[in-house]
Amino acid sequence: MWYYRTPTVVFGEDSLSFLNTITSKKCLIVTDKVLEKTGIMDKVRKQLPDNTRVMVFSDIGQEPTFSQMTSAMDSIRSFGPDHIIAVGGGSVIDTAKVILFRYARPEMDIYDLTPLEHLGIKEAAKFIAVPTTSGTGSECSWAAVVSDEMEKRKNELASAEILPDYAILDPSVVLGLPPRQTVSTAVDAITHAIEAYVSTWRNFYSDALAEKALELITGNILTVLQDPGNTEARNSVHIGASMAGSAFSNSQIGLAHALGHALGAIFKVPHGTAVGLYLPAVVEFNSLEVGERYDRLNSIFQGPFRKDCLADTLRHLFSKMGQPTSISGATISMDSYIAAKQNLEKLAMESTGVVANPRESESGDIRRLLEAVMN
Amino acid sequence: MPVFPSKDWVASFIEEINRNKKYEDAAKDWEGDFNFVVEKDQKFPETVYIYLDLYHGKCRGGSLYKSNEAPKAAFNYSGPYQNWIRLIKGEFDPLKAVLVGKFKLKGSMMKIMRYTGAAKELVRTANLVDTQFQ
Repeated sequence: MWYYRTPTVVFGEDSLSFLNTITSKKCLIVTDKVLEKTGIMDKVRKQLPDNTRVMVFSDIGQEPTFSQMTSAMDSIRSFGPDHIIAVGGGSVIDTAKVILFRYARPEMDIYDLTPLEHLGIKEAAKFIAVPTTSGTGSECSWAAVVSDEMEKRKNELASAEILPDYAILDPSVVLGLPPRQTVSTAVDAITHAIEAYVSTWRNFYSDALAEKALELITGNILTVLQDPGNTEARNSVHIGASMAGSAFSNSQIGLAHALGHALGAIFKVPHGTAVGLYLPAVVEFNSLEVGERYDRLNSIFQGPFRKDCLADTLRHLFSKMGQPTSISGATISMDSYIAAKQNLEKLAMESTGVVANPRESESGDIRRLLEAVMN
Repeated sequence: MPVFPSKDWVASFIEEINRNKKYEDAAKDWEGDFNFVVEKDQKFPETVYIYLDLYHGKCRGGSLYKSNEAPKAAFNYSGPYQNWIRLIKGEFDPLKAVLVGKFKLKGSMMKIMRYTGAAKELVRTANLVDTQFQ
Protein backbone atom coordinates (compact mmCIF):
# COMPACT_ATOMS: atom_id res chain seq x y z
CA MET A 1 0.00 0.00 0.00
CA TRP A 2 1.27 3.46 -0.91
CA TYR A 3 -0.02 6.79 -2.18
CA TYR A 4 0.54 9.00 -5.18
CA ARG A 5 0.01 12.62 -4.17
CA THR A 6 0.06 15.62 -6.47
CA PRO A 7 -1.34 19.13 -6.66
CA THR A 8 -3.54 20.11 -9.58
CA VAL A 9 -0.90 21.19 -12.09
CA VAL A 10 -1.65 24.16 -14.35
CA PHE A 11 1.03 24.30 -17.05
CA GLY A 12 2.13 25.92 -20.28
CA GLU A 13 2.06 29.44 -21.64
CA ASP A 14 -0.42 31.82 -20.02
CA SER A 15 -1.04 29.42 -17.13
CA LEU A 16 -0.71 32.33 -14.66
CA SER A 17 -4.14 33.43 -15.88
CA PHE A 18 -5.53 30.58 -13.77
CA LEU A 19 -5.23 33.01 -10.85
CA ASN A 20 -8.04 35.04 -12.36
CA THR A 21 -10.41 32.14 -11.75
CA ILE A 22 -9.89 31.78 -8.00
CA THR A 23 -12.35 33.16 -5.46
CA SER A 24 -10.32 34.98 -2.85
CA LYS A 25 -11.10 37.90 -0.58
CA LYS A 26 -7.69 37.99 1.08
CA CYS A 27 -4.58 36.62 -0.47
CA LEU A 28 -1.13 36.34 1.07
CA ILE A 29 1.68 36.36 -1.48
CA VAL A 30 4.94 34.89 -0.23
CA THR A 31 7.96 35.88 -2.28
CA ASP A 32 11.48 37.29 -1.83
CA LYS A 33 12.92 40.80 -1.99
CA VAL A 34 14.42 40.35 -5.45
CA LEU A 35 11.28 38.97 -7.05
CA GLU A 36 9.11 41.54 -5.32
CA LYS A 37 10.68 44.22 -7.49
CA THR A 38 10.45 42.32 -10.78
CA GLY A 39 7.77 42.14 -13.41
CA ILE A 40 6.85 38.63 -12.23
CA MET A 41 5.09 40.00 -9.16
CA ASP A 42 3.22 42.52 -11.29
CA LYS A 43 2.07 39.68 -13.54
CA VAL A 44 0.81 37.70 -10.56
CA ARG A 45 -0.98 40.64 -8.96
CA LYS A 46 -2.64 41.64 -12.24
CA GLN A 47 -4.11 38.16 -12.61
CA LEU A 48 -5.82 38.18 -9.23
CA PRO A 49 -9.51 39.10 -9.16
CA ASP A 50 -10.08 42.87 -8.72
CA ASN A 51 -11.71 42.60 -5.31
CA THR A 52 -8.94 40.52 -3.75
CA ARG A 53 -7.01 42.21 -0.96
CA VAL A 54 -3.32 41.35 -1.05
CA MET A 55 -0.65 41.14 1.63
CA VAL A 56 2.94 40.49 0.56
CA PHE A 57 5.53 38.78 2.77
CA SER A 58 8.96 38.99 1.19
CA ASP A 59 11.39 39.02 4.09
CA ILE A 60 12.99 35.73 3.07
CA GLY A 61 16.72 35.28 2.66
CA GLN A 62 18.56 32.35 1.19
CA GLU A 63 18.21 29.13 3.17
CA PRO A 64 15.77 30.62 5.69
CA THR A 65 15.50 29.49 9.28
CA PHE A 66 12.23 28.75 11.08
CA SER A 67 12.27 32.11 12.88
CA GLN A 68 12.83 33.97 9.60
CA MET A 69 10.06 32.00 7.90
CA THR A 70 7.58 32.81 10.66
CA SER A 71 8.67 36.38 11.47
CA ALA A 72 5.40 37.92 10.24
CA MET A 73 2.92 35.43 11.67
CA ASP A 74 1.13 38.01 13.86
CA SER A 75 0.46 40.27 10.86
CA ILE A 76 -0.54 37.31 8.72
CA ARG A 77 -3.02 36.09 11.35
CA SER A 78 -4.49 39.59 11.66
CA PHE A 79 -4.86 39.74 7.89
CA GLY A 80 -6.50 36.30 7.77
CA PRO A 81 -5.77 35.11 4.20
CA ASP A 82 -8.03 32.57 2.51
CA HIS A 83 -5.32 31.90 -0.11
CA ILE A 84 -1.54 31.65 0.20
CA ILE A 85 0.37 32.04 -3.07
CA ALA A 86 4.09 31.28 -3.10
CA VAL A 87 5.94 33.01 -5.94
CA GLY A 88 9.60 32.04 -5.97
CA GLY A 89 12.14 29.26 -5.75
CA GLY A 90 12.39 26.42 -3.27
CA SER A 91 13.09 28.58 -0.21
CA VAL A 92 10.04 30.74 -0.90
CA ILE A 93 7.71 27.80 -1.48
CA ASP A 94 9.06 25.99 1.58
CA THR A 95 8.53 29.18 3.61
CA ALA A 96 4.91 29.32 2.43
CA LYS A 97 4.47 25.69 3.57
CA VAL A 98 5.76 26.56 7.03
CA ILE A 99 3.56 29.69 7.13
CA LEU A 100 0.49 27.60 6.24
CA PHE A 101 1.38 25.17 9.01
CA ARG A 102 1.86 27.90 11.63
CA TYR A 103 -1.18 29.85 10.43
CA ALA A 104 -3.40 26.82 10.97
CA ARG A 105 -1.66 25.34 14.03
CA PRO A 106 0.10 28.13 16.00
CA GLU A 107 0.35 25.93 19.09
CA MET A 108 2.40 23.26 17.36
CA ASP A 109 6.17 22.94 17.36
CA ILE A 110 8.05 23.01 14.07
CA TYR A 111 9.09 19.40 14.61
CA ASP A 112 5.43 18.40 14.67
CA LEU A 113 5.59 19.02 10.94
CA THR A 114 6.09 15.34 10.18
CA PRO A 115 4.15 12.78 8.18
CA LEU A 116 3.53 10.96 11.47
CA GLU A 117 1.16 13.65 12.81
CA HIS A 118 -2.31 14.59 11.60
CA LEU A 119 -2.15 18.38 11.37
CA GLY A 120 -5.63 19.30 10.15
CA ILE A 121 -4.39 22.37 8.27
CA LYS A 122 -5.88 21.97 4.80
CA GLU A 123 -9.01 24.01 5.57
CA ALA A 124 -7.08 27.09 6.78
CA ALA A 125 -6.27 28.46 3.32
CA LYS A 126 -5.89 27.30 -0.27
CA PHE A 127 -2.24 26.98 -1.21
CA ILE A 128 -0.93 27.83 -4.68
CA ALA A 129 2.72 27.56 -5.72
CA VAL A 130 4.20 29.45 -8.68
CA PRO A 131 7.82 28.26 -9.05
CA THR A 132 10.17 30.83 -10.57
CA THR A 133 13.04 28.36 -10.87
CA SER A 134 13.05 25.00 -12.66
CA GLY A 135 14.45 22.50 -10.23
CA THR A 136 13.47 22.34 -6.60
CA GLY A 137 10.17 20.58 -7.28
CA SER A 138 8.86 22.08 -4.06
CA GLU A 139 5.61 23.01 -5.80
CA CYS A 140 4.87 19.29 -6.20
CA SER A 141 6.37 17.96 -3.00
CA TRP A 142 5.18 17.57 0.57
CA ALA A 143 8.62 18.36 1.99
CA ALA A 144 10.06 21.60 3.34
CA VAL A 145 13.72 22.28 4.08
CA VAL A 146 14.22 24.53 7.11
CA SER A 147 17.73 25.67 8.03
CA ASP A 148 18.88 25.63 11.63
CA GLU A 149 21.58 28.27 11.94
CA MET A 150 22.48 27.40 15.54
CA GLU A 151 23.10 23.75 14.77
CA LYS A 152 24.31 24.34 11.19
CA ARG A 153 21.84 21.81 9.90
CA LYS A 154 19.11 21.57 7.28
CA ASN A 155 16.00 19.97 8.70
CA GLU A 156 13.97 17.95 6.23
CA LEU A 157 10.36 18.33 7.34
CA ALA A 158 7.43 16.72 5.60
CA SER A 159 3.69 16.28 5.70
CA ALA A 160 1.19 15.44 2.99
CA GLU A 161 -0.86 18.34 4.32
CA ILE A 162 1.63 20.98 3.13
CA LEU A 163 1.45 19.80 -0.47
CA PRO A 164 0.18 22.75 -2.53
CA ASP A 165 -3.36 22.53 -3.87
CA TYR A 166 -2.23 24.01 -7.19
CA ALA A 167 1.13 24.29 -8.95
CA ILE A 168 1.27 26.83 -11.77
CA LEU A 169 4.07 26.16 -14.26
CA ASP A 170 4.18 29.22 -16.49
CA PRO A 171 7.35 29.32 -18.62
CA SER A 172 7.24 33.13 -18.79
CA VAL A 173 8.34 33.39 -15.14
CA VAL A 174 11.57 31.46 -15.74
CA LEU A 175 12.67 33.12 -18.98
CA GLY A 176 14.83 35.58 -17.04
CA LEU A 177 16.38 33.04 -14.67
CA PRO A 178 20.15 33.77 -14.55
CA PRO A 179 22.49 31.08 -15.98
CA ARG A 180 24.01 30.12 -12.62
CA GLN A 181 20.59 29.45 -11.07
CA THR A 182 19.41 27.74 -14.25
CA VAL A 183 22.29 25.27 -13.94
CA SER A 184 22.03 24.73 -10.19
CA THR A 185 18.27 24.14 -10.20
CA ALA A 186 18.40 21.89 -13.29
CA VAL A 187 21.08 19.77 -11.62
CA ASP A 188 18.82 19.53 -8.56
CA ALA A 189 15.97 18.32 -10.78
CA ILE A 190 18.20 15.75 -12.51
CA THR A 191 19.21 14.49 -9.07
CA HIS A 192 15.55 14.25 -8.00
CA ALA A 193 14.68 12.17 -11.05
CA ILE A 194 17.65 9.80 -10.65
CA GLU A 195 17.26 9.33 -6.89
CA ALA A 196 13.50 8.80 -7.19
CA TYR A 197 14.05 6.17 -9.89
CA VAL A 198 16.27 3.98 -7.70
CA SER A 199 14.75 4.70 -4.27
CA THR A 200 13.62 1.57 -2.40
CA TRP A 201 10.25 3.32 -2.15
CA ARG A 202 9.98 3.73 -5.93
CA ASN A 203 6.72 2.82 -7.63
CA PHE A 204 5.22 2.82 -11.13
CA TYR A 205 4.08 6.42 -10.83
CA SER A 206 7.41 7.77 -9.66
CA ASP A 207 9.23 5.67 -12.29
CA ALA A 208 7.16 7.10 -15.13
CA LEU A 209 7.59 10.67 -13.96
CA ALA A 210 11.32 10.27 -13.33
CA GLU A 211 11.98 8.88 -16.81
CA LYS A 212 10.00 11.61 -18.58
CA ALA A 213 11.51 14.28 -16.36
CA LEU A 214 15.04 13.19 -17.24
CA GLU A 215 14.19 13.17 -20.95
CA LEU A 216 12.71 16.69 -20.82
CA ILE A 217 15.47 18.22 -18.70
CA THR A 218 18.56 16.65 -20.26
CA GLY A 219 17.15 17.03 -23.77
CA ASN A 220 16.63 20.78 -23.38
CA ILE A 221 18.94 22.19 -20.72
CA LEU A 222 21.85 22.96 -23.03
CA THR A 223 19.49 24.73 -25.45
CA VAL A 224 18.22 26.81 -22.53
CA LEU A 225 21.75 27.75 -21.53
CA GLN A 226 22.64 28.75 -25.10
CA ASP A 227 19.31 30.48 -25.79
CA PRO A 228 17.75 31.53 -22.46
CA GLY A 229 14.75 33.14 -24.17
CA ASN A 230 13.72 29.90 -25.89
CA THR A 231 10.24 29.46 -24.42
CA GLU A 232 9.74 25.95 -25.75
CA ALA A 233 12.96 24.63 -24.22
CA ARG A 234 12.32 26.55 -20.97
CA ASN A 235 8.83 25.09 -20.80
CA SER A 236 10.18 21.56 -21.22
CA VAL A 237 12.78 21.98 -18.47
CA HIS A 238 10.22 23.66 -16.21
CA ILE A 239 7.68 20.84 -16.59
CA GLY A 240 10.43 18.21 -16.34
CA ALA A 241 11.69 19.71 -13.10
CA SER A 242 8.21 19.63 -11.65
CA MET A 243 7.75 16.00 -12.70
CA ALA A 244 11.05 15.15 -11.02
CA GLY A 245 9.77 16.87 -7.86
CA SER A 246 6.61 14.83 -7.96
CA ALA A 247 8.66 11.66 -8.56
CA PHE A 248 10.87 12.09 -5.50
CA SER A 249 8.01 13.34 -3.37
CA ASN A 250 6.17 10.08 -4.03
CA SER A 251 9.25 7.89 -3.53
CA GLN A 252 12.25 9.34 -1.69
CA ILE A 253 15.50 11.23 -2.04
CA GLY A 254 18.80 9.38 -1.62
CA LEU A 255 22.42 9.78 -0.59
CA ALA A 256 23.24 12.66 -2.97
CA HIS A 257 20.66 14.70 -1.07
CA ALA A 258 21.87 13.47 2.32
CA LEU A 259 25.42 14.60 1.45
CA GLY A 260 24.28 17.76 -0.35
CA HIS A 261 22.14 18.93 2.55
CA ALA A 262 25.09 18.42 4.90
CA LEU A 263 27.43 20.38 2.61
CA GLY A 264 24.89 23.17 2.10
CA ALA A 265 24.31 23.54 5.84
CA ILE A 266 27.99 24.12 6.55
CA PHE A 267 29.31 25.82 3.42
CA LYS A 268 26.20 27.61 2.07
CA VAL A 269 26.67 26.06 -1.34
CA PRO A 270 23.52 26.39 -3.50
CA HIS A 271 21.37 23.30 -3.01
CA GLY A 272 21.48 22.04 -6.59
CA THR A 273 25.23 22.54 -6.82
CA ALA A 274 25.71 20.62 -3.58
CA VAL A 275 23.60 17.57 -4.46
CA GLY A 276 24.99 17.44 -8.01
CA LEU A 277 28.52 17.48 -6.67
CA TYR A 278 27.97 14.08 -5.05
CA LEU A 279 25.55 12.55 -7.57
CA PRO A 280 28.09 10.81 -9.88
CA ALA A 281 29.91 9.26 -6.90
CA VAL A 282 26.62 8.15 -5.35
CA VAL A 283 25.58 6.58 -8.68
CA GLU A 284 28.86 4.62 -8.73
CA PHE A 285 28.30 3.53 -5.12
CA ASN A 286 24.72 2.40 -5.79
CA SER A 287 25.48 0.67 -9.08
CA LEU A 288 26.09 -2.60 -7.27
CA GLU A 289 22.40 -2.69 -6.33
CA VAL A 290 20.63 -0.85 -9.14
CA GLY A 291 23.02 -1.02 -12.11
CA GLU A 292 20.30 -2.09 -14.55
CA ARG A 293 18.04 0.77 -13.57
CA TYR A 294 20.91 3.22 -14.06
CA ASP A 295 21.55 1.68 -17.52
CA ARG A 296 17.91 2.36 -18.39
CA LEU A 297 18.28 5.99 -17.28
CA ASN A 298 21.56 6.31 -19.17
CA SER A 299 19.77 5.32 -22.38
CA ILE A 300 17.48 8.36 -21.99
CA PHE A 301 20.37 10.82 -22.47
CA GLN A 302 20.83 12.03 -26.03
CA GLY A 303 23.53 10.30 -28.05
CA PRO A 304 26.27 12.97 -28.07
CA PHE A 305 26.29 13.16 -24.28
CA ARG A 306 25.84 9.52 -23.41
CA LYS A 307 28.83 7.61 -22.09
CA ASP A 308 29.10 3.93 -21.17
CA CYS A 309 27.73 4.37 -17.69
CA LEU A 310 25.41 6.86 -16.01
CA ALA A 311 28.06 8.28 -13.67
CA ASP A 312 30.31 9.19 -16.63
CA THR A 313 27.37 10.58 -18.60
CA LEU A 314 26.51 12.82 -15.66
CA ARG A 315 30.10 14.04 -15.31
CA HIS A 316 30.17 14.80 -19.03
CA LEU A 317 26.84 16.65 -19.02
CA PHE A 318 27.71 18.52 -15.82
CA SER A 319 31.02 19.71 -17.31
CA LYS A 320 29.09 21.05 -20.35
CA MET A 321 26.64 22.79 -18.03
CA GLY A 322 29.27 24.27 -15.73
CA GLN A 323 28.24 22.19 -12.70
CA PRO A 324 31.26 21.37 -10.49
CA THR A 325 32.17 17.75 -9.86
CA SER A 326 34.82 18.39 -7.20
CA ILE A 327 35.20 20.42 -4.03
CA SER A 328 37.66 22.83 -5.64
CA GLY A 329 35.18 23.42 -8.46
CA ALA A 330 32.59 24.35 -5.86
CA THR A 331 35.01 26.99 -4.52
CA ILE A 332 35.40 25.35 -1.13
CA SER A 333 38.92 25.28 0.27
CA MET A 334 40.27 21.78 0.77
CA ASP A 335 41.47 22.59 4.29
CA SER A 336 38.05 23.73 5.45
CA TYR A 337 36.39 20.72 3.79
CA ILE A 338 38.75 18.30 5.51
CA ALA A 339 38.19 20.09 8.82
CA ALA A 340 34.42 19.73 8.40
CA LYS A 341 34.45 16.12 7.22
CA GLN A 342 33.47 14.54 10.52
CA ASN A 343 30.56 16.92 10.93
CA LEU A 344 29.50 16.40 7.31
CA GLU A 345 29.51 12.65 7.90
CA LYS A 346 27.33 12.99 11.01
CA LEU A 347 24.83 15.31 9.30
CA ALA A 348 24.58 13.05 6.26
CA MET A 349 24.03 9.97 8.43
CA GLU A 350 21.20 11.80 10.20
CA SER A 351 19.50 12.79 6.95
CA THR A 352 16.31 11.09 5.80
CA GLY A 353 18.16 10.60 2.51
CA VAL A 354 19.80 7.45 3.89
CA VAL A 355 16.49 5.70 4.55
CA ALA A 356 15.41 4.68 1.05
CA ASN A 357 18.74 4.81 -0.76
CA PRO A 358 19.03 1.60 -2.79
CA ARG A 359 22.32 0.56 -1.22
CA GLU A 360 22.64 0.61 2.53
CA SER A 361 25.34 2.87 3.82
CA GLU A 362 27.40 2.91 6.99
CA SER A 363 29.49 5.79 8.24
CA GLY A 364 32.55 4.40 6.40
CA ASP A 365 30.64 4.53 3.10
CA ILE A 366 29.55 8.11 3.77
CA ARG A 367 33.17 9.04 4.52
CA ARG A 368 34.35 7.51 1.23
CA LEU A 369 31.67 9.39 -0.69
CA LEU A 370 32.76 12.63 0.96
CA GLU A 371 36.32 11.85 -0.11
CA ALA A 372 35.31 10.93 -3.67
CA VAL A 373 34.82 14.60 -4.59
CA MET A 374 38.15 15.79 -3.13
CA ASN A 375 40.12 15.29 -6.37
CA MET B 1 12.86 -21.18 18.38
CA PRO B 2 11.34 -18.41 20.54
CA VAL B 3 7.71 -17.49 20.15
CA PHE B 4 6.83 -13.87 19.32
CA PRO B 5 6.16 -12.11 21.62
CA SER B 6 7.70 -13.76 24.69
CA LYS B 7 10.48 -13.08 27.19
CA ASP B 8 12.67 -15.57 25.32
CA TRP B 9 12.03 -13.75 22.05
CA VAL B 10 12.95 -10.41 23.63
CA ALA B 11 16.19 -11.93 24.98
CA SER B 12 17.07 -13.21 21.48
CA PHE B 13 16.15 -9.84 19.99
CA ILE B 14 18.47 -8.03 22.41
CA GLU B 15 21.28 -10.43 21.50
CA GLU B 16 20.73 -9.66 17.81
CA ILE B 17 20.68 -5.89 18.45
CA ASN B 18 23.98 -6.12 20.28
CA ARG B 19 25.48 -8.19 17.46
CA ASN B 20 24.26 -5.82 14.73
CA LYS B 21 27.16 -3.62 13.63
CA LYS B 22 24.96 -1.65 11.23
CA TYR B 23 22.64 -0.70 14.08
CA GLU B 24 25.59 0.14 16.32
CA ASP B 25 27.00 2.43 13.62
CA ALA B 26 23.71 4.17 12.84
CA ALA B 27 22.77 4.62 16.52
CA LYS B 28 26.17 5.42 17.97
CA ASP B 29 24.90 8.70 19.49
CA TRP B 30 21.39 7.50 20.32
CA GLU B 31 20.17 7.77 23.92
CA GLY B 32 16.57 6.80 24.62
CA ASP B 33 14.38 3.83 25.42
CA PHE B 34 11.78 2.29 23.17
CA ASN B 35 8.57 0.35 23.69
CA PHE B 36 7.50 -1.94 20.88
CA VAL B 37 3.80 -2.28 21.52
CA VAL B 38 2.16 -5.42 20.18
CA GLU B 39 -1.53 -4.57 20.17
CA LYS B 40 -4.24 -7.14 20.57
CA ASP B 41 -6.20 -8.18 17.52
CA GLN B 42 -8.37 -11.10 16.43
CA LYS B 43 -5.49 -13.56 16.73
CA PHE B 44 -3.77 -12.06 19.76
CA PRO B 45 -5.84 -11.50 22.91
CA GLU B 46 -3.81 -9.10 25.03
CA THR B 47 -1.64 -6.06 24.28
CA VAL B 48 1.99 -6.44 25.43
CA TYR B 49 5.00 -4.13 25.53
CA ILE B 50 8.56 -4.99 24.56
CA TYR B 51 10.70 -2.51 26.47
CA LEU B 52 14.24 -1.80 25.25
CA ASP B 53 16.86 0.38 26.96
CA LEU B 54 18.94 1.66 24.05
CA TYR B 55 22.16 3.57 24.51
CA HIS B 56 24.93 4.45 22.07
CA GLY B 57 24.28 1.66 19.60
CA LYS B 58 23.70 -1.07 22.18
CA CYS B 59 20.72 -2.44 24.07
CA ARG B 60 21.46 -2.34 27.80
CA GLY B 61 18.42 -4.44 28.73
CA GLY B 62 14.74 -5.00 28.24
CA SER B 63 11.86 -7.35 28.76
CA LEU B 64 8.25 -8.18 27.98
CA TYR B 65 5.50 -6.49 29.99
CA LYS B 66 1.74 -6.52 30.21
CA SER B 67 0.35 -3.15 29.20
CA ASN B 68 -0.45 -2.03 32.76
CA GLU B 69 3.06 -2.94 33.99
CA ALA B 70 5.16 -1.51 31.15
CA PRO B 71 7.74 1.17 31.93
CA LYS B 72 7.27 4.49 30.16
CA ALA B 73 9.66 4.94 27.25
CA ALA B 74 10.74 7.93 25.19
CA PHE B 75 9.36 6.28 22.06
CA ASN B 76 6.47 3.93 21.37
CA TYR B 77 6.26 2.00 18.11
CA SER B 78 2.93 0.25 18.09
CA GLY B 79 0.77 -1.85 15.83
CA PRO B 80 -1.56 -4.86 15.89
CA TYR B 81 -0.10 -8.36 16.19
CA GLN B 82 -0.88 -9.29 12.58
CA ASN B 83 1.13 -6.31 11.35
CA TRP B 84 4.06 -7.24 13.60
CA ILE B 85 4.17 -10.64 11.92
CA ARG B 86 4.45 -8.97 8.50
CA LEU B 87 7.04 -6.53 9.81
CA ILE B 88 9.23 -9.24 11.32
CA LYS B 89 8.97 -11.27 8.12
CA GLY B 90 10.30 -8.24 6.25
CA GLU B 91 7.08 -7.63 4.30
CA PHE B 92 6.78 -4.07 5.62
CA ASP B 93 9.32 -1.26 5.52
CA PRO B 94 9.25 -0.04 9.16
CA LEU B 95 8.98 3.66 8.27
CA LYS B 96 6.65 3.26 5.33
CA ALA B 97 4.44 1.17 7.62
CA VAL B 98 4.03 4.24 9.85
CA LEU B 99 3.26 6.51 6.90
CA VAL B 100 0.44 4.27 5.71
CA GLY B 101 -1.02 3.79 9.18
CA LYS B 102 -0.04 0.16 9.80
CA PHE B 103 2.02 1.29 12.80
CA LYS B 104 2.10 4.37 15.00
CA LEU B 105 5.21 6.09 16.30
CA LYS B 106 5.07 8.39 19.33
CA GLY B 107 7.90 10.40 20.87
CA SER B 108 10.12 13.37 20.09
CA MET B 109 9.82 13.86 16.34
CA MET B 110 12.85 16.16 16.32
CA LYS B 111 14.96 13.34 17.68
CA ILE B 112 13.52 10.47 15.71
CA MET B 113 13.79 12.30 12.38
CA ARG B 114 17.55 12.47 12.90
CA TYR B 115 17.79 8.76 13.54
CA THR B 116 15.50 7.34 10.87
CA GLY B 117 18.31 5.08 9.65
CA ALA B 118 18.91 3.74 13.16
CA ALA B 119 15.19 3.27 13.81
CA LYS B 120 14.82 1.36 10.58
CA GLU B 121 17.79 -0.85 11.40
CA LEU B 122 16.47 -1.48 14.91
CA VAL B 123 13.11 -2.68 13.68
CA ARG B 124 14.73 -4.71 10.94
CA THR B 125 16.89 -6.48 13.50
CA ALA B 126 13.71 -8.22 14.65
CA ASN B 127 13.80 -9.92 11.25
CA LEU B 128 17.10 -11.57 12.23
CA VAL B 129 15.57 -13.42 15.18
CA ASP B 130 14.57 -16.96 14.31
CA THR B 131 10.94 -16.56 15.25
CA GLN B 132 7.93 -18.78 15.77
CA PHE B 133 4.55 -17.07 15.65
CA GLN B 134 1.61 -17.98 17.83
